[in-house]
Amino acid sequence: FVADEASVEKVKELEELQELQLDFWRGPGGQDVPIDVRVPFASLQAVKIFLESNGICYSILIDDLQVSALVDEEQTQMISHHFMPRSVETFNYASYHTLDEVTAGAHPLTRDPPGSESSIQIRGTKGWYPLHLCFSMQFSTGGAKRPAIWIDTGIHSREWITQASGVWFAKKIVDSYGKDPSLTSILDNLDIFLEIVTNPDGFAFTHTKNRMWRKTRSINSGSACIGVDPNRNWDAGFGGAGASSNPCSETYHGPYANSELEVKAIVDFVKSHGNIKAFISIHSYSQLLMYPYGYTRTQAADYQELVGSSSHPQVAALSSLYGTRYRYGSIITTIYQASGGTIDWTYNQGIKYSFTFELRDTGSYGFLLPANQIISTAEETWLALMTIMEYTRDHPY
Amino acid sequence: MQRRSAARLGPLLLLLLLPVAWGAGPEPPRADGELQVSSRLAGQAARVALHYLNYRLGSPSALRALGQVRKATVKTIPGIGHKYYLQFTTEDYKSSQNVGTCLATVLYLKRKPRPAVNINCTYTKDQKQTREDDYSFYKKLRQQTKPITGNDIPDSYGHIEPALEPAWALAVAGSSYLMWEKSTENLGYFMAQVKNVKQWITKDDSIDFDYLVILHEIPTQEMISCHLRVIWTPGHPLKVKYFCLSENQQSESEEGSGTESGSTNGIFNEEEANF
Repeated sequence: FVADEASVEKVKELEELQELQLDFWRGPGGQDVPIDVRVPFASLQAVKIFLESNGICYSILIDDLQVSALVDEEQTQMISHHFMPRSVETFNYASYHTLDEVTAGAHPLTRDPPGSESSIQIRGTKGWYPLHLCFSMQFSTGGAKRPAIWIDTGIHSREWITQASGVWFAKKIVDSYGKDPSLTSILDNLDIFLEIVTNPDGFAFTHTKNRMWRKTRSINSGSACIGVDPNRNWDAGFGGAGASSNPCSETYHGPYANSELEVKAIVDFVKSHGNIKAFISIHSYSQLLMYPYGYTRTQAADYQELVGSSSHPQVAALSSLYGTRYRYGSIITTIYQASGGTIDWTYNQGIKYSFTFELRDTGSYGFLLPANQIISTAEETWLALMTIMEYTRDHPY
Repeated sequence: MQRRSAARLGPLLLLLLLPVAWGAGPEPPRADGELQVSSRLAGQAARVALHYLNYRLGSPSALRALGQVRKATVKTIPGIGHKYYLQFTTEDYKSSQNVGTCLATVLYLKRKPRPAVNINCTYTKDQKQTREDDYSFYKKLRQQTKPITGNDIPDSYGHIEPALEPAWALAVAGSSYLMWEKSTENLGYFMAQVKNVKQWITKDDSIDFDYLVILHEIPTQEMISCHLRVIWTPGHPLKVKYFCLSENQQSESEEGSGTESGSTNGIFNEEEANF
């Protein structure tokens, strides 16, 4: 979606650059009309740079158009390798990486052989942001707007175990398709969206200036303090108790709901997609699995189902691997009152299976979880995610 | 102050009030009774008890973290505050291995200074071994001719240089004092990182460290910087002084200064009549 006329003009400029050989499936129209462009691999870098320098946030979808037509098993194997960059074999999942490294490691297109194509959906933003990029990955075996599962990591930039786990999840999905019957059947019926570095500006800042940075890096007018808490910026009980109105605070909710690009991009996506069935937002630390609500003590209407059929099995699955103990409950009773939170909004949008995780540990290392725990954390968390994805697949609504 | 008859009706009240306790949110419970073991308030109170224990034991090899809360009840002491009765398991701070169970009471006073804690624990680690471990930490530190200095412990990647482990462990023990003092029913703390450490070589037989530590404050999510001075002799109470400032609040600066040494503090116990 292009949010303003200026951005529409910018994208039209792209059309003019014939040497890029861009194929606009749906050309730049007015505002709020998504623009789909097929970009030959050779032009990919140029397009990305153009978009980034003009403050346009985009999502990269991995949608191998060939998979949906595929029946031949041998070809399936080839395609799933085709997804992954050659660098994946050497990508070290057991260490923490910078933004560029994550992009290269998790983004299969940067190393794909020339001639391969992908589709890119472009969204616009208002104003200028020192944004590196905004991207989510789509894992799809075809269909149109299939029911989908959304997973995000890294919305709070200092929670490094989450982005590191997200990269591992991406590899796991691609590795498991065609091999693990459960994941294969999940992807044969649903799409998975994974956004690994949900707060890229914050993440970059944790590498360069302040390892403990949590918020976005947006400028707050009238204040010397920077950043908004992206998990207080959603339109669910926005501005109520459980968030701060002080820009200097770590839980500053922002000037208005969805003021943050990082949040708006997801909101727009969820609304336009219209068929997300499970939404999982991942944080650290504390070892918790939580469901709505955070902003109110009112119990979620689907409370029984969220507890009995879902939370409990998820936590049991997670523990089964290394014995890691999680508590679960609603946000407000388990951790604290928090308004304007992600899954409160997604739940109110009708996404019944809305969950949030707080990964390892319980405070000894906290945000500074040793890198030697990345893989075990990702593995156990994946079991919980598989549980919720299977449940979503088996309980369509 | 006369004790209220509410205490005698305790068990009866418990039954009636359970449904209310279930809905208890993050604010201090308005009704007495049993808490969900998964509730934030129960966990928070248990951690306060452990801060106190870690400080009082003053043993870098025997630091404990919260395992699981097994049972939690809360009682209102009129005019005084809320008293938590807790049973919880503990883990070794570093290895997360289970090391025993504790029974504790934590009394949050309406008037500060700090929560009153009474705690008794079983300890499954070999106590002779931990004493020896403490002593070998101590010897290593005493043998320093050049003072130990360091930054960012653990570093961004969660790594702690082995040579700096004793300094880090002492920071946890010293921070425990500070976190115990600062904790309220609603504000809890974790020691996030040692930003800076500098050892003072002393002429007596104590170990002396100057720290800048970062505390993670819940639920505000703020990172609080505190200067900490820790003086340690194994087998003796830890001596801790501190001074904190709040990084992000430019308008307010939190200052706290505790200058008591452990042994002269006295042990807080259940005698509400003292308050």
